[in-house]
Amino acid sequence: MRRTRARTNLSPMITDSHIGRTYPATDPYVVSAAKVAEFADALGDAANPAYAGPDAVAPPTFAVVLSSAAWGAMFDDPELELSLSRTVHTDQRFTWRRPLRVGDQVTATLTIEKFRARGSSAFITIVVGLDDADGERVCDATSTLLHTWPEEIA
Amino acid sequence: MSTVELATSQPGTVLPGITAAFTRGALVRYAGASTDFNPIHWSDRAAADLGLPGVIAHGMLTMGTALRVVTDWCGDPARVLSYYVRFTRPVVVPDDDEGATVSLGGTVTKVDDGVATVSIEALFDGVKVLGAATAEVRLD
Repeated sequence: MRRTRARTNLSPMITDSHIGRTYPATDPYVVSAAKVAEFADALGDAANPAYAGPDAVAPPTFAVVLSSAAWGAMFDDPELELSLSRTVHTDQRFTWRRPLRVGDQVTATLTIEKFRARGSSAFITIVVGLDDADGERVCDATSTLLHTWPEEIA
Repeated sequence: MSTVELATSQPGTVLPGITAAFTRGALVRYAGASTDFNPIHWSDRAAADLGLPGVIAHGMLTMGTALRVVTDWCGDPARVLSYYVRFTRPVVVPDDDEGATVSLGGTVTKVDDGVATVSIEALFDGVKVLGAATAEVRLD
């Protein structure tokens, strides 16, 4: 297979100047009992009583459902020339101030925290803050993404 | 585990391990639950295009499942204050009934001011698939 490259500059379009860029918050997402149960089941943890009933909390890593919803804003930013299909998730950190609970109405705001170019690839660290309806921070989800821009294959 | 038992945790305390079998069906279920529909987690063709030996499990599925070692031990997911992993190697999931079996365990490495640091190990085919996996858990 031959691939051609539209631009000749090998350096990524995302640069240090994009560090600190914050995108608008996502629309509010309401954490439902059904979605929490579905997520717990997908982790093989459907029997955990913490994830059922009127006081249910979400499995901690349910935060990714909300944080990844904020990724679209960055991938849609035409300046950066990023593509989700050329992205590998290399690490993930969550810090919780409190657990997500059924009924929480959450918005997610993405900020580009770090950028490190390596040839036609780059490590991009993003922080997504999850806030409840009162504007209180619930969780920070920090991800490092390895993005590779296409190179001409001769 | 009761709060009293948790409070006696020391560095070196070993958490009960679990095993998880990731089948293709489990990946589809996680895709729907997480809304991560990246085709490398369900299409051999898409996986091969990226140079992978086959469909791989979502890193977040491994991360989320591995934390069960901690939540089963501490009894209350609300005690988990932070969690970090590096996705060091993919978990390749064959299209059969058994899927890929991942062995998960944890060890307390530090106790400080009512917070235990747990180092989590996730092995697939005897190889670590999560690096530096660490959770902080409130004990009191």
